[in-house]
Amino acid sequence: MFYIHQSSCISAQKAFSDPSETSLTASVNNKLYACDANYDMIPPNTLRRLGKAVKMGIATGMQVINQQAVDGIVIGTANGGLEDCIKFLNQIIEFEEGRLTPTNFVQSTTNAIAGQLGIMTVNKGYNITHVHRGLAFENALIDTEMLLQENPDRSYLIGGVDEISEYNYTIDTLAGCYKKEDVSNKNLLRAASAGSMAGEGAAMFLVNNSKQDAQASIRAIKTLHSTEFDSIEKTIQDFIQEHVSGEEKIDLILSGKNGDARLDAYYEKCVSLLPANTPVGYYKQLTGEFSTATAIALWIAVTLLSTNRLNALLEIPATLQPKNILLYNTCRGNQHSLILISKP
Amino acid sequence: MSRIVVTGIGIISAIGDNADSNRTALQNGICGISSIDLFETKYAKELPFGEIKISNAVLKGHLRVSFPGVTRTSLLAQHAFEQAIADSNLSSEDLSDESTAFITGNTVGGMCLTDELYNDANKRSTDSPYVNSYDLGSVTVYLQELYKIRGISNTINTACSSSANAIMYGARLLKYGKAKRAIVGGVDSLAKFTINGFNALHILSSQQCKPFDQNRSGLNLGEGAAFLILEREEDCIQKKKYAILSGYSNANDAYHASSLSDTGEGPYAAMTEALKNAQLQPADISFINAHGTGTENNDLVEGVAMKRIFEKVPPFASSKSNTGHTLGAAGAIEAVYSILSIQHQELYPSLHFNQSIDTLALEPLQTFQKSTVRHVMSNSFGFAGNCSSLIFSEI
Repeated sequence: MFYIHQSSCISAQKAFSDPSETSLTASVNNKLYACDANYDMIPPNTLRRLGKAVKMGIATGMQVINQQAVDGIVIGTANGGLEDCIKFLNQIIEFEEGRLTPTNFVQSTTNAIAGQLGIMTVNKGYNITHVHRGLAFENALIDTEMLLQENPDRSYLIGGVDEISEYNYTIDTLAGCYKKEDVSNKNLLRAASAGSMAGEGAAMFLVNNSKQDAQASIRAIKTLHSTEFDSIEKTIQDFIQEHVSGEEKIDLILSGKNGDARLDAYYEKCVSLLPANTPVGYYKQLTGEFSTATAIALWIAVTLLSTNRLNALLEIPATLQPKNILLYNTCRGNQHSLILISKP
Repeated sequence: MSRIVVTGIGIISAIGDNADSNRTALQNGICGISSIDLFETKYAKELPFGEIKISNAVLKGHLRVSFPGVTRTSLLAQHAFEQAIADSNLSSEDLSDESTAFITGNTVGGMCLTDELYNDANKRSTDSPYVNSYDLGSVTVYLQELYKIRGISNTINTACSSSANAIMYGARLLKYGKAKRAIVGGVDSLAKFTINGFNALHILSSQQCKPFDQNRSGLNLGEGAAFLILEREEDCIQKKKYAILSGYSNANDAYHASSLSDTGEGPYAAMTEALKNAQLQPADISFINAHGTGTENNDLVEGVAMKRIFEKVPPFASSKSNTGHTLGAAGAIEAVYSILSIQHQELYPSLHFNQSIDTLALEPLQTFQKSTVRHVMSNSFGFAGNCSSLIFSEI
């Protein structure tokens, strides 16, 4: 168990960053692009060379670090600056490996976000980038949990970031990840077809072992790689039994349901394993689907512990003020994760 | 705390497709850096590479892979992975047990298929078998599905120190009781992406690299894969053990995206922290497998950092003069070489060295020798300042 003290988020929803905003930001062409954020903390000559993932990662990261210094940086991103990466690749093909500038290459490596944050804050501590597709952010959490056992007095920046690039949108569409028909995010979860909607965003957290003044506690993380319902069911049951004691209950399931009809059964299975009246909140109609969307889900969960301003967007009862929230997500039906977060 | 031991190794590089052939090549000072035969690039005639001279078709035959969509990166990984699990006698039940963790370090994933990726990304294809094979995680996911690995799994990219961090992550999962055994390592294959990226940075040499030489002129890219099986000593009392993973570290140079600071802050911190983690003094280190890429920047800075730490710098060498720089695989390949040094009590020479760097006056080991080898430090430093050191010790 460890504690979250600061958090920041860039997502497709204006309401996430602006409490005066309550309406749903709509998708455009089956995509939920993250809103433009304030990038003032990035020097202009650096900023113009950065792709969106790196910008979002630095902006959310610096927002946290500016509140409180950290001893290390732990990032989860499946693809990092993929737009720059494929731009560089396109140049390789189109200029037949001619003279290329290294900027796109250096900025597009997945570890560039953690690296840039390290350089900008002259942070010489632990610095790592987890890139394991739909479990990249979950591994960042597992890593941080171990770091805080090793170094109980330290604080770490932990976050998840991914961007929509035209290129991976094309590739992932070929792979069947996104809907072929036009769909609005308002109706995403009611669609009965295969595929989801592309999304992007970043969320960062300052974590340590101090309960005092904490926003939330991360009580447990579990990952599983399997497509078999029996083993997923057993994993969820064991997780709840191990981490939710007799008098406690899960007040809210934050479900990663993403409108892909092929995955609905997994999410329904998870809900069915909890008491019948447990409320279920959904967020992928707000964030879109991407490999590190659970980082935004964690930010939403932290927010829900202290305010009910997002309840309407999440389609949960307006008065619900959860103390214990279970996050369940699957990426493509084979990578599964469970995160238990509570009011400290 | 429990000691973390190595119970299996697997490796493929430009100097051999298993541990024995790699060892023989290291003993004999064989350099696997040559003109390119298999990979197609404009630079085939201009630049030498540490290419593995085994085609994808032959690899697929050996590995009984008859299904589509498997990249060279995944094939090299599978080759080393299968050796490591066989060496450690892991059964299929062991592999799919939830207490088995699987961690891969990787920096190019399926981007070795530049042309296929170009077509798929730019809407020039309709029916590509590779659409799930480009991301870095794809290599790990491929082996997970092939061997039904269900426990904690991860892919790490810290550039050239990726697989050192994969090894460190696996060891920590064991220490903190999150896994009972960990299959850890890394892989990368030659790719136009990295060839052109490093070339644009003007750090590829047109000659075989000369680590720590005054007249060094850059690095050579290589390819390869290596995996280790890590277990807690008390969980494998009856098993063959190669070495102890006694120390590890991760630090950041926090200076520049693609070069190291003059004083070697990151390398200094990585080596110092690894010693502290292993509870060893600098004088305890028998040998350093240096990062030693052969670039102007790395070798000078690594030497400066070594001199800051070691009153008398122990024998050191860079096996990148044998294999080329295998990027995401380098930390794991060099971990295997460090383990072989300990297992056989012998030290392998650095190649192509003529003259010390003026300001350093350090000479790498240049002859093969039998020696008492208790503790080997293996360094891996990457872009974005990602520096890691591992220490392997005799049982």
